[in-house]
Amino acid sequence: MNSIFSLKNKNILITGASSGIGRQCAIIFSQLGANVILIARSKERLKQTFDKLEKGNHLTISQDITEYNKLEEVVRCSVEKVGKISGFVHSAGIEMTLPLRSMQPSYYENIFSVNVIAGFELAKIISKKKYINKDGASFVFISSVMGILGQSGKVGYCSSKGALISGTKAMALELAKKNIRVNCVLPGVVETEMSNKMFENLPEESKKTIMDMHPLGLGKPNDIAHACTYLLSDAARWITGTNLIVDGGYSAK
Amino acid sequence: MEKMKIEDFINELKEALEIENEDQEITLETNLKELEEYDSLSVLSIIAMIDKNFDKQIPSADFIKITTVSGLMDLIGKEHFV
Repeated sequence: MNSIFSLKNKNILITGASSGIGRQCAIIFSQLGANVILIARSKERLKQTFDKLEKGNHLTISQDITEYNKLEEVVRCSVEKVGKISGFVHSAGIEMTLPLRSMQPSYYENIFSVNVIAGFELAKIISKKKYINKDGASFVFISSVMGILGQSGKVGYCSSKGALISGTKAMALELAKKNIRVNCVLPGVVETEMSNKMFENLPEESKKTIMDMHPLGLGKPNDIAHACTYLLSDAARWITGTNLIVDGGYSAK
Repeated sequence: MEKMKIEDFINELKEALEIENEDQEITLETNLKELEEYDSLSVLSIIAMIDKNFDKQIPSADFIKITTVSGLMDLIGKEHFV
């Protein structure tokens, strides 16, 4: 597709690529001409995503991204096999609904290691001269409307998603001179394995409340993948350090 | 895994439910759902407490079927208690 929104010839690394938003991003980006590098823990589930991609020079790497000391090798290998990186989407994330009184230090550490630290570490490595596309790049962190709004039982999750938003702003300023744009996408509740699992643990009336909070209904992974596409494309050339809220009207209330 | 005294379990339960009144009696027959402190978040707290103490993940769908403390202990497995 020859359009300003095309991702042709872009090499895009995606974490959390084996499910939900990350998986859909991989599929859509490949359809728009990108080569995608899929990172997730499960080899089998990565293959399921891989099989749905349009043809291209794609790569899957099965890696737990909280093994921080392995990340440089992941990026090095990606660049060697696919080429220098022009896009990065950090979609890996874990959700936790637990009242403050039941939270433990290890729970916060676990959430932050996946949702925040692994993403920032990858951004650090990818932005090295030897790995980054010389004409510039775009990084997108999948945050959440919960990064700007609260909800009970979500202290861990909300704070990790908020950290992505503020970290994005600082990173955008720091990386502007390398022509790397850094933005966040803030989804409302999207129908994925993760949200389904969350729903399973909620009583019926809470489910209804959550549905009602979205004037346009719950989102689909595609809705988020399309927003990411925009931020990765040359159409978003002048956009950095910002939040794109994609929530079916959730935060308008 | 070490067995837990019923008395200790009830104290853990009180903590998860944030029952601070020491005089409030919780027995095996207490109906959890009739407690003022019972709500959807306290359910998650109790499930987390069980996970922590018994390494057992109780689906909330199973949890909402039970009413009494004794029923909850059956769900966890009576063999875990002394």
